Amino acid sequence: MIEVKELRKQFGKVTALDGLSFSAPEGQITGLLGPNGAGKTTCLRTIYGLLKPDSGQAFIDGIDAGQQPLEARRNIGIFPDKFGLYERLTAREQVAYFAALHGLAGEAGDQATEAALQRLDMLEIADRRATGFSQGQRMKVALAQAIVHRPKHLILDEPSRGLDVMSTRILRDLLRELRAQGTSILFSSHVMQEVAALCDQVVVVAKGKVAAQGTTEELCELTGESALEEAFVKIIGTDEGIAA
Amino acid sequence: MTNPVKIVWRKELKDAIRDKRSVMAAMSYAFFGPLLMAVAFYVMISQLTDPSDVEIDIQGAEHAPALIEHLNSNGIVQREKAWAAGQQPITLEVDESWAEDLAMAMPAKVTLTADFSATKQRGDINRIERAIESYANQIAYIRLQMRGLDPRVVRPIDMVKHDTATKGSRAAILMGSVLIFILLSVFFSGMNVAIDISAGERERNSLELLLSQPLNAHQLVLGKALAASSFAIFGGVLSVILIPIIFRFLPLHNIGISLSLDWTMMVLIVLMLVPLALFATALQLFVSFRAKSFKEAQTYISFLLMLPMLAVFGVEFARLKNPVLYYLPLTGQHQALLDIIKGESLQWLPMGISALATLLVSWLLIRFIGRMLASEKVVFGL
Repeated sequence: MIEVKELRKQFGKVTALDGLSFSAPEGQITGLLGPNGAGKTTCLRTIYGLLKPDSGQAFIDGIDAGQQPLEARRNIGIFPDKFGLYERLTAREQVAYFAALHGLAGEAGDQATEAALQRLDMLEIADRRATGFSQGQRMKVALAQAIVHRPKHLILDEPSRGLDVMSTRILRDLLRELRAQGTSILFSSHVMQEVAALCDQVVVVAKGKVAAQGTTEELCELTGESALEEAFVKIIGTDEGIAA
Repeated sequence: MTNPVKIVWRKELKDAIRDKRSVMAAMSYAFFGPLLMAVAFYVMISQLTDPSDVEIDIQGAEHAPALIEHLNSNGIVQREKAWAAGQQPITLEVDESWAEDLAMAMPAKVTLTADFSATKQRGDINRIERAIESYANQIAYIRLQMRGLDPRVVRPIDMVKHDTATKGSRAAILMGSVLIFILLSVFFSGMNVAIDISAGERERNSLELLLSQPLNAHQLVLGKALAASSFAIFGGVLSVILIPIIFRFLPLHNIGISLSLDWTMMVLIVLMLVPLALFATALQLFVSFRAKSFKEAQTYISFLLMLPMLAVFGVEFARLKNPVLYYLPLTGQHQALLDIIKGESLQWLPMGISALATLLVSWLLIRFIGRMLASEKVVFGL
């Protein structure tokens, strides 16, 4: 379970996180929905232990990410906001590198890498260098890197940005499968449909705070609107910075 | 559990070896540097050892055939071509009464007309003066002997020039410049890799993900530093091997220089380059991790390259002789290399201390870069 408690973070005069609290339980997909600049990426970076919150904590299965970042990171898979591939390495080598960084070397590393490549149906491109990969193929490599060590928690930052239909479907299928296996999945998005299609639970973030929380239905009920989009606009009070 | 440092090192090395640009950069410097030097030396040696004839206008040659012959044998000949524009003619005029004066034991007159302030002709004029002086001395000795006097009475002082320069120490002057190439090779050869694994990592947006993996920032930096230093050492080894080979083709013996590096010395030089390579890489990573792009990092690093050049040339030209130089990073290796080339006895203790000092400074730098990468200000450029 990923738990975030009362996170506060200030960048100069800008308040990025203003007492953000929520949790992403096991076997569920939790969507972090908010307009651009709401603090989603800042929140995720705090969970990885890359940013130190001014106050508050982020827990991965009870491990404080601020105190023991390495321990916390061992249990999460990350699909980052922007992912760069090593152009001169093959897909297999990239995935194996991340497996090794998670302590899976030698035989175990090879097996984990093979399994991840197989799972994403990318054995055909596995031994090609990343130069010339399509956006969808790149996404697959990044996904394989994130899941190669079979993390109990998966965090995705704006995962469907720039993906074509096929890639988006692959991504969704994978997330549903991992959910069925009991992984707690947290993903941030500003795309309404994606959240509505996937999430068990939606956390609406605006100005560094949780503006509302619940299933899509609950959010609609709460605002008296029938569509999530309308509900969302009502909750954050503006339609600036969101995509339908 | 495998060591993250080793994992990063192996991956970065594999990545870098596949980068043709990095490999070319590492090799080309090690190769073309000494080659360029060799060409420069070749030109210098041929100028030093092969003095061409001094061509001047000689008037009244018919009056003194013996003098002319003496001049010719000293490489001073009658000019056939016209003087180049802007060049002052040098004219030697033999007086008509030459033979007569000689016969009478009177001073015979020759007139040397030239621009004595022209620095380019200074050497030529000196040679003419020396040749005439030596001819005059010959005649003087003969005259004294004919009068039954020991010619030595007119030579009260005999100055003996005793040249203490050994072949090795003369070589050192020349080889000093070669050393700079060897030292700089470790700075140049790993440069491309260092930029690629730091600023390049940031530029291709993979730095953040890498820092979110379960390893310490300083493990990451150490792994990367080792990969880039491997390249730096590769370049260093290449230049240490190539320099003696290339110089074998130079006629160094013509100017009384011998350069011989046996393989123990070569191994020693390479061993000295190891800490220096780490130091060079740590410095390069330090500046290029602060850069946002490959280009920016290149700009910073080109400034950084001035540092070893300044240190080495500075010591060379200012003729600094402070014992502290033996103990510091960079200058320590430089001094030790000088000693090796001069064939002087090696100072093992200072060599060891400077190697340790270099390693220590590199390690501190790597720790510092690690701390830098743990700071959100540097990573996200906040």
